Amino acid sequence: MEGLWIVLLGLLTAGYFALAGFDYGVGLLFRFVGRDEAERARVLRAMTPFFLGNEVWLVAAVGVLFGAFPRLEGELLSGHHGAFVTILVGLVLVTSAVQLRVSPWWDVPLVGGALIVPVGWGVLLGDVLGGPVVLWALGIPVLFLLHGAVFLAWRLHGPLRERAVRTARALVWPAAGFVVAAVASGGSVRVPAYGWVGAAVALALVGGAWTALRSARSGPAFLCTAGLCVVPVVAVFGARAVVDVATMAHTPTLRALSWVALVVLPLVGVFQWATWWMSRAAR
Amino acid sequence: MDALGLARLQFAVTTSFHFLFVLLTLGLVTLVAVTQTRAALSGDPVHARMTRFWGRIYVVNYALGIATGIVVEFQFGLNWSGLSHYAGDVFGAPLAIETLVAFFLESTFLGLWIFGWDRLNRWVHLALIWLTALTAYASALWIMVANAFLQHPVGHEERDGVLRLVDFSALVANPLFTTAFGHVVLAALTVGGVFVTGVSAYHFVKRTTEVDFFRRSLRLGVVVTALATPALTGLGFAQFPVLARFQPTKVADAGAGAVGLGFMVQIGFLLTLVSWATLPLLFRDWVVRLRFPLYLMVIGIPLPFVAAVGGWVFREMGRQPWLVYGLLRTEDAVSAVSRDAMLFSFVAFTAVFVVLAVADWVLIARLVRRGPVDEPVPVSPLVPAL
Repeated sequence: MEGLWIVLLGLLTAGYFALAGFDYGVGLLFRFVGRDEAERARVLRAMTPFFLGNEVWLVAAVGVLFGAFPRLEGELLSGHHGAFVTILVGLVLVTSAVQLRVSPWWDVPLVGGALIVPVGWGVLLGDVLGGPVVLWALGIPVLFLLHGAVFLAWRLHGPLRERAVRTARALVWPAAGFVVAAVASGGSVRVPAYGWVGAAVALALVGGAWTALRSARSGPAFLCTAGLCVVPVVAVFGARAVVDVATMAHTPTLRALSWVALVVLPLVGVFQWATWWMSRAAR
Repeated sequence: MDALGLARLQFAVTTSFHFLFVLLTLGLVTLVAVTQTRAALSGDPVHARMTRFWGRIYVVNYALGIATGIVVEFQFGLNWSGLSHYAGDVFGAPLAIETLVAFFLESTFLGLWIFGWDRLNRWVHLALIWLTALTAYASALWIMVANAFLQHPVGHEERDGVLRLVDFSALVANPLFTTAFGHVVLAALTVGGVFVTGVSAYHFVKRTTEVDFFRRSLRLGVVVTALATPALTGLGFAQFPVLARFQPTKVADAGAGAVGLGFMVQIGFLLTLVSWATLPLLFRDWVVRLRFPLYLMVIGIPLPFVAAVGGWVFREMGRQPWLVYGLLRTEDAVSAVSRDAMLFSFVAFTAVFVVLAVADWVLIARLVRRGPVDEPVPVSPLVPAL
């Protein structure tokens, strides 16, 4: 039962970084990829059908963290108070602005929030790892930028797509550089294998995205960068052995929650898939 | 003010903001679902236009509901880690269910409803708004289950200094949950009813040409308010015997919160009385011809919000000095976070919430003033107009 909930927490966290990662990337890039208001609306429209469905993966992950890992939730969040407050301020800004953008004035909180959130995650991961926080605060936004650019390359057409592809290609090298620097500066951790394997996987994914972009296969490139956004959080939390069975709720709680998860998660899967299915024509 | 005081103030401010948006979300989604059902059944274009107009106000309000909700969810771990450490096994379960069952699904359904406009089959699209409404109520249900546990902890045993869950069904059967949940649902319906009534009345004051549109909206609002308020006040008073048994010193402990209780009771009576007095005036549109009730309806829009926040402040302050009644003191649950860190988060959240909430209310006011528009404007700004 414990294993099931660890997998579930991992899955929801991974889902959040893989999906919301491109929300923030697009949020940072749309004013650059789209040169006038009409183009910007088209760029944003590639992302917005998924926006609400993407952001709630985090809400679900934290809910599971609270319900199934109560001793970890309190320690983790209060122990990294500043980083989480930063992330939350960014989240509030970007979530509101994307849903309320009736004029370009809303781009201030939109772009600001889309920057603050990945910087906050970078600070948190750097903090947890004990690595250089500035490197992480710069690196995570680069990964999300790359993911956003690849997403746009996949979903857009014409000159907008070309601009997105050029941006993505330019971001591949900084992304690879961050991965190398992060693992080199990681220092000693409890489970070093996570660092090395994580870096190898991350570099393979960067390479995969690069190759796929060169052969104009943006779908596979998107899968590569989605994976790339997930690797750091898994590597850092794994290397530090943060998720510990001792922090978990006792069996009666997990049993009660398992019934709920059993019913709800297939439903969530179906309706998240429906979101992508409905927007297939928009591509 | 020390870290504890700041943490408490921060919780009160962020949850109050969240509550204001959530109330209107719950109330409006119900009225939008009813209107869309009538549109689907009758095929009458006025119902479709009403769905779009009220639906747009609903989604603009929802934006801040979700944004503030994320902060509230994280805040337990950020500032009250003693709560998750001690009672997380029991209190965390309904919260986890709320995020999985309700929040997760609600947002996914709403996204599908917004982007499925004019693209999905009429009945599928109708089902989506009802599913959104249902999951929104499920959200309120599990939050109230969690809150009732803080008021009157049941279904647990203490072992090795932490609470363990013994009986999950006791959480749902908690006497501090059942009546209070009904009360909150009816309060949300009242907020929705009074809002729709007030906005419609505003357009009659402005001598709208959309007479049919706002006559139907006004009737819907008045009828919903009249149906909800008697049961609302009834379930309000039904909680006093429960309190007398489980939280006998609540009114005394609430301190300033007791003022909130007073406001709530007065406003509850007033709305019941006025909504029933208005019902006969709906006959032959007397309410519109008389005109003066219209002004009262516009002025009345904030009243149920004030009442709801007042009631909530009473419920929470009356729990003090306990976080989990009789088991965990508020002062023992606050995180080991410095005063400066707490001050930073309090200022940051409050500033961002105030600016965004005002911007959101200005947007809603603009949508209200503009009235129904017929060109193909998307139902939500989430759909950038191409």
